[in-house]
Amino acid sequence: MRRSAAARAAFAVTILAPLVVVAAAVGLATGAGELSIRAALQGREPDATVLFRLRVPRVLLAAEVGAALSVAGVALQALLRNPLADPFVFGLSGGAAIGIAVVTVASGSAIGAVATSAASFLGVLPAQLAAVAGAMAAALLVFTLGRARGQLEPARALLVGIVFNSFASALVLSVEAVLRPDQMQAVSLWLAGTLGYEPMSLLAGAGIALVVPALVLVALAGRLNLLALGDEGAAALGVDVARTRLFAFFAASAAVGIAVAFTGLVGFVGLIVPHAVRLVTGPDHRVVLPASALGGAAFLILADALARVLFRGLGAEPPVGAVTAIVGAPLFVLLMRSRA
Amino acid sequence: MILLEARGLRYRHAGASRDALAGASLSVAAGEVVAAIGPNAAGKSTLARLCCGLLSAQEGAISLSGTPLTQLTRRERARRVAFLPQNPPHDLSFTAREVALMGRAPHLGLWSLEGPHDLESARAALEQFDALDLADRPVSQLSGGERQRVFLARAFAQEAALLILDEPTAALDLAHQVLLVNALRRKSRDGGGALLVLHDLALAGAACDRLVLLDRGQVIAEGSPAEVLRPEVLSPVYGTPVDVVPNPGTGQPLVAPRIAR
Repeated sequence: MRRSAAARAAFAVTILAPLVVVAAAVGLATGAGELSIRAALQGREPDATVLFRLRVPRVLLAAEVGAALSVAGVALQALLRNPLADPFVFGLSGGAAIGIAVVTVASGSAIGAVATSAASFLGVLPAQLAAVAGAMAAALLVFTLGRARGQLEPARALLVGIVFNSFASALVLSVEAVLRPDQMQAVSLWLAGTLGYEPMSLLAGAGIALVVPALVLVALAGRLNLLALGDEGAAALGVDVARTRLFAFFAASAAVGIAVAFTGLVGFVGLIVPHAVRLVTGPDHRVVLPASALGGAAFLILADALARVLFRGLGAEPPVGAVTAIVGAPLFVLLMRSRA
Repeated sequence: MILLEARGLRYRHAGASRDALAGASLSVAAGEVVAAIGPNAAGKSTLARLCCGLLSAQEGAISLSGTPLTQLTRRERARRVAFLPQNPPHDLSFTAREVALMGRAPHLGLWSLEGPHDLESARAALEQFDALDLADRPVSQLSGGERQRVFLARAFAQEAALLILDEPTAALDLAHQVLLVNALRRKSRDGGGALLVLHDLALAGAACDRLVLLDRGQVIAEGSPAEVLRPEVLSPVYGTPVDVVPNPGTGQPLVAPRIAR
């Protein structure tokens, strides 16, 4: 603890980067069918297709989404000064769900069909765009309604988020009543959080897009530390508290939006990974943020690998969001108790 | 060199029925330790917050080392004045060393990474407040007095010329009060200065070069401790009879409320 933050962050990254590599190896090696990595690397089919078209993109997706959700969780916990804040108690998930539901309903209409073809021309799905838009709109709503006297009030914002989430799930439930069974299946899979197989170009785009909020948050890390002193304490040390909150909030929302667009609602990652990381590294965000990004990537890769083998005998696969919750909930209780 | 110059400050809190400060003025020169004293709700803490830019006055002007407060960026301001609030947070999971290092924040660059000089400033500040052995403990596990010393270390690590400390001695035992007074004297000898908000008038008489007595947002009296700490000045302001006797050891004025038996 006597070393500088930069040294401790570098140390955490050196420890965690190999963990991500191991997790990725596990993720690549597990799946519905047997796969010979050697055969795949020699270009023999079908192993090459399974590895490069299915498993590599899936592991990459899990890594990106896990990192994004964890980093967003760290930021939200810091700026709300509440360890229970996470992307999914905060209205962002509800907003994204509304976006998805609306698009699903609209896709039956003529306008929906035009929008769909326009969006797929751009290489993205309208549902994903709607999810990002919904999450950002929810962020804006929470940020606006969570303010009092010109300042974001953590307790108020958290309450607004929770209430908005209930409202959103009621809305989605109502929308589901008018959906066809196949649409309903798609929506509920998405709500449960599912990792699919995305094209590599899209994954690369998402990865680049995630770098922006991640860098913003790392640059804000020192100021997020100071927020722990209270708004006044941080302001006395030269922090523009309102602007720091705004930037951190929208960087976190952007990361969540991108993650949610691909996978739906994968809960618990943004809650449990930062908690586990802080137990080891302490609360310094300059260390916690990069460590959580790597820890989150490893966690979701492993959770997805678990999801793929869990019911393999039945030829079925639970949504990864269910696995993160099943693993995450007891783990969270354990972490809470170990801190007390 | 005048570190702090405040003229004609008026401030009313939102929704309040009267001004918390109604035209108060005060200054702190380099080499001076000044205390704002006065009864509850006299405007002492409001004055402290205005002087470090946490609140902005509805009327009046403040300058730090000759530059108007309004012309300083937040970070420039934080390099000129360090503020210790009355109730620093007690549930921090940061260690004492990390909290002391937070005082270096106004000096750090974009990525907020501290260098060897910052680490050394924080260490020296902790040592100065007898808190070096607490360095690696989370602040949430410290006692009130220990925590206060860590936050004092943070304020000193900021290396601002002016310190504004709101009730810095409230949680400190006698030995650590003396430690703080000596630290403030060293700071002022080195060209710094301090504005303290104090309730303890005995300490104000012993530790300060100048006292500013506030009541209902106005400066009632200002001067050396011997000039301000007089029964005929204090009794009407505090609304209770007080006696002032010279300290048998130092001759400094000792204030005591007269409490009937």
